[in-house]
Amino acid sequence: MADLTLNEKRLLVALAPMGEGSAAALAAALGTTEEAAVQHAHLCADRGLAAVTRTSAKTYSLTPEGTEYREHGLPERQILDSFEGSISMKDLQGHPLSRIGIGWLRKKGWIAITKGVAEKTGEAAPGEDEVALADPKEGMPGIAELLKRNLVEEHEEVAYRIAITPEGRALVAAGLDLVEETGTLTREQILDGSWRTANLRKYSLSTPPKRVWPGKSHPYQRIIDEVKRILLDMGFVEMQGEIVLSAFWDFDALFQPQDHPAREMQDTFYLDMKEPLPAGYEGVRDMHEHGGTTSSTGWGGVWSTEVPQQCVLRTHTTPFSIRYLIDHPEPPVKAFALGRVYRREAIDPTHTPEFEQLEGIVMDEDVSFRHLLGYLKEFYGRMGFENVRFRPGYFPYTEPSVEPEVWVDGLGWVELGGAGIFREEVTAPWGIETPVLAWGLGISRVAMLKLGLKDLRQLYRSDIDWIRESPVIRKEE
Amino acid sequence: MAIISLNYAYLERLTGTDRKTILERLPMIGSDIERTFDDHVDVEFFPDRVDLYSTEGVARAMRGFLGIEEGLPEYPVTPSGISFTVDPALRQIRPYLGSAVIRNVRLDEAGIESLMGLQESLHWAIGRGRRKVAIGVHDLDRVRPPFRYLAAPRDRRFVPLDFQEELSMEEILERHPKGRDYAHLVDAFDRFPLIVDADENVLSFPPIINGELTKVTTETRNILLDCTGTDPKSVRMAAHIICTALAEAGATIESVDIDGTPYPDLSPVERIVSVDTCRRLIGIDIDAEEMAALLRKMRFGAEPLPDGKLRVLVPPYRADIMHDWDIFEDVAVAYGFDNIDAALPQTFTTGKEHPIAVVERQVRSILTGLGYLEVMPFTLTSERVLYGQMRRETSPDLLRVSKPISEDQSVVRTEILPLLMEILEINCHRELPQRLFATGDIIRGVKTMQSVAAVSIHPGADFSEAYAMMDAFCRECGLSPEFVESADPAFIEGRRGDVLVDGKKVGVFGEVHPEVLVAFSLEHPVAALELDLRAVPGYPARPGTP
Repeated sequence: MADLTLNEKRLLVALAPMGEGSAAALAAALGTTEEAAVQHAHLCADRGLAAVTRTSAKTYSLTPEGTEYREHGLPERQILDSFEGSISMKDLQGHPLSRIGIGWLRKKGWIAITKGVAEKTGEAAPGEDEVALADPKEGMPGIAELLKRNLVEEHEEVAYRIAITPEGRALVAAGLDLVEETGTLTREQILDGSWRTANLRKYSLSTPPKRVWPGKSHPYQRIIDEVKRILLDMGFVEMQGEIVLSAFWDFDALFQPQDHPAREMQDTFYLDMKEPLPAGYEGVRDMHEHGGTTSSTGWGGVWSTEVPQQCVLRTHTTPFSIRYLIDHPEPPVKAFALGRVYRREAIDPTHTPEFEQLEGIVMDEDVSFRHLLGYLKEFYGRMGFENVRFRPGYFPYTEPSVEPEVWVDGLGWVELGGAGIFREEVTAPWGIETPVLAWGLGISRVAMLKLGLKDLRQLYRSDIDWIRESPVIRKEE
Repeated sequence: MAIISLNYAYLERLTGTDRKTILERLPMIGSDIERTFDDHVDVEFFPDRVDLYSTEGVARAMRGFLGIEEGLPEYPVTPSGISFTVDPALRQIRPYLGSAVIRNVRLDEAGIESLMGLQESLHWAIGRGRRKVAIGVHDLDRVRPPFRYLAAPRDRRFVPLDFQEELSMEEILERHPKGRDYAHLVDAFDRFPLIVDADENVLSFPPIINGELTKVTTETRNILLDCTGTDPKSVRMAAHIICTALAEAGATIESVDIDGTPYPDLSPVERIVSVDTCRRLIGIDIDAEEMAALLRKMRFGAEPLPDGKLRVLVPPYRADIMHDWDIFEDVAVAYGFDNIDAALPQTFTTGKEHPIAVVERQVRSILTGLGYLEVMPFTLTSERVLYGQMRRETSPDLLRVSKPISEDQSVVRTEILPLLMEILEINCHRELPQRLFATGDIIRGVKTMQSVAAVSIHPGADFSEAYAMMDAFCRECGLSPEFVESADPAFIEGRRGDVLVDGKKVGVFGEVHPEVLVAFSLEHPVAALELDLRAVPGYPARPGTP
């Protein structure tokens, strides 16, 4: 019991000679308020050193209107006494209190009204309300009525009696020192050394502390940063680019046919604006129409110069890669982009119209599909996915194409992205003759796996408590 | 992607092996098993492999892949003696026609289902919703050659498929389900495409609907195929797919004279490819004979030539073979991707973060240090959230999406602060104080740039907090800003400031106007700021790829 506060000790010392006392008496003995005395008594009671008994009593006082009626009688009583036997309603309504009183007269059955004449019924003994009005006390039947009529006000008086327990007496008998207690050390106490003799308050560890939240980056951003770190460490240069692109760069330069349903594989946000075709577009046109000077037949048909000028919100980050290669034609090139892409999808737990996509490319002499698989194994391995396997895939701009799958305990094989070697129809128009390995994946899918998220929307329209409670250092399951 | 239903019994009969083996190996030729049932499986195939859109096509591929029957399939075509003429008036409407006679057809319900499914999948993948090509199959024994493909008056009448009464072509477009679905493909024309026989019986109204007269049933023994369209290559490919699929089911193919030219031609296409180029592209060490063997598994004809070349015969149904590399991919598929020895090349390069990403990372560090939690709101939003609720005038730089799915994704954000206000609204029941920031792309006109915004909501939030935070933030960014009175209506007058750097406004801060708070259903004051990151030292002068 050494951890009693000073106030608790002082209360016990004051209470011991009294044995028992009211809160007021105890407060007087302690030189404090009744509220404080009761609070400290409760703390002692929690330790079994004191007992606190609470009693409450209701008292009533008359309102000004009530006071008047106690002296002169309730309105209905005054009206009743003002006439003999019967009275016309016309005359009755002339009484000053008729507005209030007539209703009560009828309600109490003191009068009967027929054909415009009110007659006394003879039933007018003093009621419970009149008895209560004379001297209102708790428990009287008529009090409720008077309260409703706002003739009486109710007051609750709470009284506490505090008694010391045998344990409390024993403690006092054993001796309690009443030295002042120190909460926070002051500068003076530190400087003058008085802390040595100060009674330093002790704190309990059984109560959890007040929670504080640090400022911190978004859990999804931390995953994005992890992925970027992997690629930077693998020697990749970061690319960034525009969100608004012409369809030429988003589709046509990547050998996607202008009317092929593959364009629907990426439902597109179109904008009502156009951007002119860039210099060198003729090479892309030739690829689409007949394959130019490559061994390709092209898609055939006539390539429209109107369709690719339409602006879109980028549907993938692959356009950055081809433009980066145009600007950096000398091998070796290793580059990546990680950015938000836009697909015209309604929002549901597993689909959002925006999400983050990663794109990586490697251009070097003598690289091959075998090396692409090597990069994928290395990259996914560093991401924490130990088991990787490969399935044939299809994309309009790569050949061969491959879909990596990773093993996730509890989920089985999960397809995570797509990859391939840029088709010659994509690279030849810009004079690129070195093979280009390329791969991409949706990072939000990775985030769902790593964060244990069931609802993608949480990444973008976040519950702040989810962000607060996501630890910066994640345990790997 | 197309999802194809494969009937197990039919598939097993055509391949000569069991379903377990087939399902095990199917993903290795490029497909996803969508769902398995007791009697069939739904498989997703890529849009380039239209030859796999039927049970017959899958069986043909799997017989090769499993080594049961390898090499080039042969599809002999003999003349039918039947002719088809094409009306020159169709030149502006739907000019191209492909056709074939397919005899000795034996279709049970599974076979008919496969054929109808194939037609619909081809309409999607090659036909682009029937615009480029539409396919009709007809019971040949119910009509009499020769046949005519003509432009007919709109009031021409016949009984359409699955109907009992005659309708005019115009009425079909209004009343038949297929008519309503595809009216847009023809209704601009004075006359409509029609196929009739020697007795003026109607076989079909391309690309809308067939006639009831020639409906294909389990009793049908001989089929007349029609493929009409606006693109000759697509028409030819559709005809090849249908003919070869039915040939795999046991039928024989006969050619039709179309204005004197026999159709179809199911000969393979020859390509001479380099073995060394294949080796270098895929990264596997195989010789010409091994490469030829792998291609035969994929149902190509393949024969080594003396000078390190291979003579490859491409089957007529392989619409996806456009380039030599498409053949090399099939070599890799036959080899087995998991059998390729994955390896990293010895390419040494130095990684480098993009300068914009560096600035964003540093900004993130400053604001988390100042106690703010990061959020990552959407880029797409509504004009109401972006401007209306903020008491601001809509910017002329605002970009609107052409066909938004909903109002909430109808415009592209030009600032970030309104979206932070929306995040505060979503979290109005969470414990205060809430201090949030976001950084990222904004789009003005067609230009992508970056911004950062921060908000703080709690009972004591006020102008002083916003001012102190903006001052600290600018200091940590290495900026020497001038703070001047702002006129931004989103903030309370007398409690707002603009940030000028080199005399140019780059940011704003202050205490958010109560009307804005109420518009976002907030009940406490908000201190807020936003800054254009282009002003931050280190931001590249020419953003984009470095």
